[in-house]
Amino acid sequence: MSDIVLETEGLTKYYGSTVAVDHLDMQVPRGCICGFVGRNGAGKTTAIKLMLGLLNPTEGSSKLLGCDSTTLTSTIRQRIGYVAEGHRLFRWMSINELERFQCAFFPRQWDCKFFTDMIEYFGLSRRKKIKHLSNGQRAQVSLALALAPNPELLIMDDPTLGLDAAIRRQFLEGMIQLIMHQGRTVLFSSHILGDVERVSDRILVIDKGVLRANCSLEQFRSAVKKVMINFDDSVPAEVDIEGLLHCRRSEKELEVTLVGTNEEKIDEWAKSAGAAQYKIVQMNLEDQFIEFTAPPGRKKLFQWEEI
Amino acid sequence: MRFSALLRKEFRECIPWLLLAAVVFFGFGGYCLRAFAFPRYGYLYNPYFQPGSLVEPYRLTNYSALQLPGIWLSLTSIGLGLILGVRHFWIPYFTGTWPFLLHRSVNRKTVLAAKLTAAAITFVISLGFTWIVLYWYANRPELFTLPQTARIFIEGWIFILLGLVVYLGTALSGLSTAKWYTTKAFGIAFASIIIFMTFSQWQLFWTFAVIVIGIVILLSQVIDTFLNREF
Amino acid sequence: MDLWIQISPGSKEPVYIQVAEQISEAIAKGQLASGDKLPAVRKLAAELVINPNTVARAYTHLEQAGLVTTKVGSGTFVADPKMRKADAADMNILTERMDTLISRGLNLGLKATKLIEIFKTRVEKFAINSNKKEE
Repeated sequence: MSDIVLETEGLTKYYGSTVAVDHLDMQVPRGCICGFVGRNGAGKTTAIKLMLGLLNPTEGSSKLLGCDSTTLTSTIRQRIGYVAEGHRLFRWMSINELERFQCAFFPRQWDCKFFTDMIEYFGLSRRKKIKHLSNGQRAQVSLALALAPNPELLIMDDPTLGLDAAIRRQFLEGMIQLIMHQGRTVLFSSHILGDVERVSDRILVIDKGVLRANCSLEQFRSAVKKVMINFDDSVPAEVDIEGLLHCRRSEKELEVTLVGTNEEKIDEWAKSAGAAQYKIVQMNLEDQFIEFTAPPGRKKLFQWEEI
Repeated sequence: MRFSALLRKEFRECIPWLLLAAVVFFGFGGYCLRAFAFPRYGYLYNPYFQPGSLVEPYRLTNYSALQLPGIWLSLTSIGLGLILGVRHFWIPYFTGTWPFLLHRSVNRKTVLAAKLTAAAITFVISLGFTWIVLYWYANRPELFTLPQTARIFIEGWIFILLGLVVYLGTALSGLSTAKWYTTKAFGIAFASIIIFMTFSQWQLFWTFAVIVIGIVILLSQVIDTFLNREF
Repeated sequence: MDLWIQISPGSKEPVYIQVAEQISEAIAKGQLASGDKLPAVRKLAAELVINPNTVARAYTHLEQAGLVTTKVGSGTFVADPKMRKADAADMNILTERMDTLISRGLNLGLKATKLIEIFKTRVEKFAINSNKKEE
């Protein structure tokens, strides 16, 4: 088994003159859960569809399990599970019929008992047609259909969009369950950063089509920091510290958000700028993500006025 | 196993229309053949009646086209083609099921082959079989005084093939990624042209030739578009 | 042995730190005695619905602090208290936390002596629990 299950090289997609995905270079190693995050419209779904051969790249290439995405063979597709956005399934089919349909494509892999257990656990009736299921129930069926063939690589595009907390937890449990098998990898995109933090080993951050972060979750968490710097005199006009994302200033205080700056450099700059003291503030993943993807110099939406 | 699963799924989607078309075709066909046999009765009465064709005699008069029995049979077939084309190639956009369907562990051409085969089987059973039954029944001398003519039998098949032309034209329009509505309608427009050419002259050989060429062109376009299209 | 661990993904602390902290608290309180086996990585991961690598990372973190030892093939066990060592980084965190507590206490209007008294009572309580477990 090779080490890299998914790789892209300069993957680019233009729609007319708009760039949806801009020269993506990444490699996802085997055995990890990779969280793919980005703001709405950043290019996550486009990137995933490119990887699965549903879209053709304008430039560059991508490979799944060593096979080029535009020419994925049927044997390779059998090893890949895909949960598309919205969990759209054939509305007229019942759960039974869907199982029959799905397992025809995985003759030796399909775990009948696992599927049955999952459907039972979700409390779904197997005769029910998909059109009579709620969004959440349809998502549960979709999850069961994707996990039962025990895929080597599972790609999920925003699988928990609009779902309640209990079903979201079931999806996470499913991912963890899959990853316990030898050599399985999961790539999932999500807006719920709490979920991403819970289960991901690695994080990919895409912003306006550009891949801005591709590292382990731990590295990302420790790389994006907020530092509160106090000055005895006034705050310096120019803030030229390395890795600066944003800065906010008041009379004697400076709040900077940095990425990738180690403590020594912070210390160095603080001393050279004549700071009295500084404190590194830990952020949660959601705040880190917001700061990381915010355009520079942005103001807050609502400004409170002193009455 | 995989192809049969796909075929089963595509065919199941055709079944309600299969039954509807069979009933309608049987109804029209029966009415046409009866009027043919008893020319003085019914809506399709025409004093210039000449046996031997479901289309020919009426073209030479100034009676409305709606009196051509052939038109009604064609309409059924065209209707079936339109509905199946929409069901197979337009509806998946609305239900969002293309990604699920296309991520099967088969070649893309197998997915297309399943759809086309299901449509072909539907036409054969719902219209082809019905026409054979109708014609066999109407051909019995003790029942109708229908002239023994193979020509009418062949004409029935032409009407059925027109349905296939429309199916492929609808499919092509559905698959088209063109932005302009005019270019998107190319498939349906092309099918309409074929239909027009078919009825504007009724030499059986040329009619067949036009239809076959139309089917070949549309089929190759559908295959090409489907295999290269982005979803 | 029941290990109640609560994960808050929206918190500022990375998940593996949360796990490690709660385990070390359990050890300090005496809920886990020296020699006790920690849950298997996969079992805990499935229970908490977090990545097994995160649990492994937490265990590694605890091992670096000398709180647990890993025996290949057997699992991870709570270490002998005498083997534990606190390095400079640990002491930093400890004093930082103490500062937070002290400032909170002083803001409530408590005098320094009262604060020390409360602290002493709590430490003794931990020690009692710890001794109870060993009996």
